[in-house]
Amino acid sequence: MIEVKNLYKRYDDNFVLNDVSVKFEQGKCNLIIGRSGSGKTVLLKSIVGLIETDEGEIWYDDQKFSHLDAVSKQNIRKEMGMLFQGAALFDSLTVEENVLFPLDMFTSYSRGEKLDRVNFCLEKVKVSKTNKLYPAELSGGMKKRVAIARAMALNPRYLFCDEPNSGLDPETGIVIDNLIKEITEEFNMTTIINSHDMNSVLEIGDKVVFIYKGCKCWEGTRKDILKTDNEALNNFVFATRLARQIKS
Amino acid sequence: MRLLEQIGTYFLFMKRAFSRPEKFSILYRQTMREIDKIGINSFPIVVIVSLFVGAVITIQSNYNIENPLLPRYLVGLTVRDSLLLEFSSTMVALILAGKVGSSIASELGMMRITEQIDALEVMGINSVSYLVMPKIIAAVVFFPVLCLLSIAMGLLGGYISCIAANVIAPSEYIYGIQYEFRPYYISYSLTKTAFYALIITSIASYFGYHVKGGAVEVGKSSTKAVVQSSILILLANLILTKTILQ
Repeated sequence: MIEVKNLYKRYDDNFVLNDVSVKFEQGKCNLIIGRSGSGKTVLLKSIVGLIETDEGEIWYDDQKFSHLDAVSKQNIRKEMGMLFQGAALFDSLTVEENVLFPLDMFTSYSRGEKLDRVNFCLEKVKVSKTNKLYPAELSGGMKKRVAIARAMALNPRYLFCDEPNSGLDPETGIVIDNLIKEITEEFNMTTIINSHDMNSVLEIGDKVVFIYKGCKCWEGTRKDILKTDNEALNNFVFATRLARQIKS
Repeated sequence: MRLLEQIGTYFLFMKRAFSRPEKFSILYRQTMREIDKIGINSFPIVVIVSLFVGAVITIQSNYNIENPLLPRYLVGLTVRDSLLLEFSSTMVALILAGKVGSSIASELGMMRITEQIDALEVMGINSVSYLVMPKIIAAVVFFPVLCLLSIAMGLLGGYISCIAANVIAPSEYIYGIQYEFRPYYISYSLTKTAFYALIITSIASYFGYHVKGGAVEVGKSSTKAVVQSSILILLANLILTKTILQ
């Protein structure tokens, strides 16, 4: 479980996060949704420690991550996997080397054991036989799959995904979403996904947190979204005229 | 104030770069890769530039030593000392600042804007140490080799010009480059090169690592890295010359 308490982040006089408190549950896909510029990426990057917050606490199970020293933070980070918006695969390494990278860094397995793990992860995300290809030779969807394989290589307890299906067609996006949901449930991870894609929300959103102008405006399940009378959330979810007609 | 802040950030960056690596085997592997990338790949440019400069210095020295009372072997001595004292260390370092410095700054800049550096950090890896330390070690170890190569190629260039352009007799040139030779000049040249290597790689890494924005900013950081490391090389040249040759 990950919990954030009273998180604040300000750039000059502009509050990007304003008193955000929320619990993200283990074994579930927790989605942070909101309009572009609402503060969801800042929230996600604050949770993983890439952005320093001004105030507030971040808890990883029973450890207060926000107040740990650099070494203890690094130990928790070894239990994190993250899927970035652009996949963030290392250009100079092949697919195999990308997935091997965290194993090389943090394990003392034999070469054979590491390669077995790499192949297992690549098969899990259905991109086996791409081992020797470079990221530049992969499609957008394949890059995301390889990035998921790299993120799960060390069997992380926490998985973070920043807009996992941005730039993908809806069908591929759903495949990626289902893949994330499948590994979240199988390995009982705490998964936090940042998205503004309603397909994702309705497909895998076990818990949904709506961020509006830096504040937590609403939280619930994907089923609750369709029944909510929260105006900001309704404007976000039913943004098109067609969607509003269907709802009414 | 901004300059002081930048200097402070630079030293904090260097402190992170020289913190204990995650695994020494990986540091060794990365350093070997960097030696290939920034060292071995710089062989052609160093060879070409040094050959031509050696030849030109020979022709120019001969042109300027017209006094019949001065022995012709002075041409060889001038070429040798020019290469040892200044060209093969400082001028080659300025060339490498352009080639290697811009390459490092743009590589790290691209890694920053495509979130590859963030990916390293999230994995719990000290990205500065992982990315920058091997580059610095590779350059400090290998640039002196390039300096020696440049000296050898410069002298060869001078010899070729003696034969091809009929500047002076090759035997006089050979005598000149051996005349009153002080081995100390070589260690002086290598020491300067090691300092320049540190300047080039650390400044370029600093600017590349701290890129914010997109492709335009990567280009700007690359330019800044080359300009600032070139200025610092010239400043270091002055300080080191005064300190070592005093």
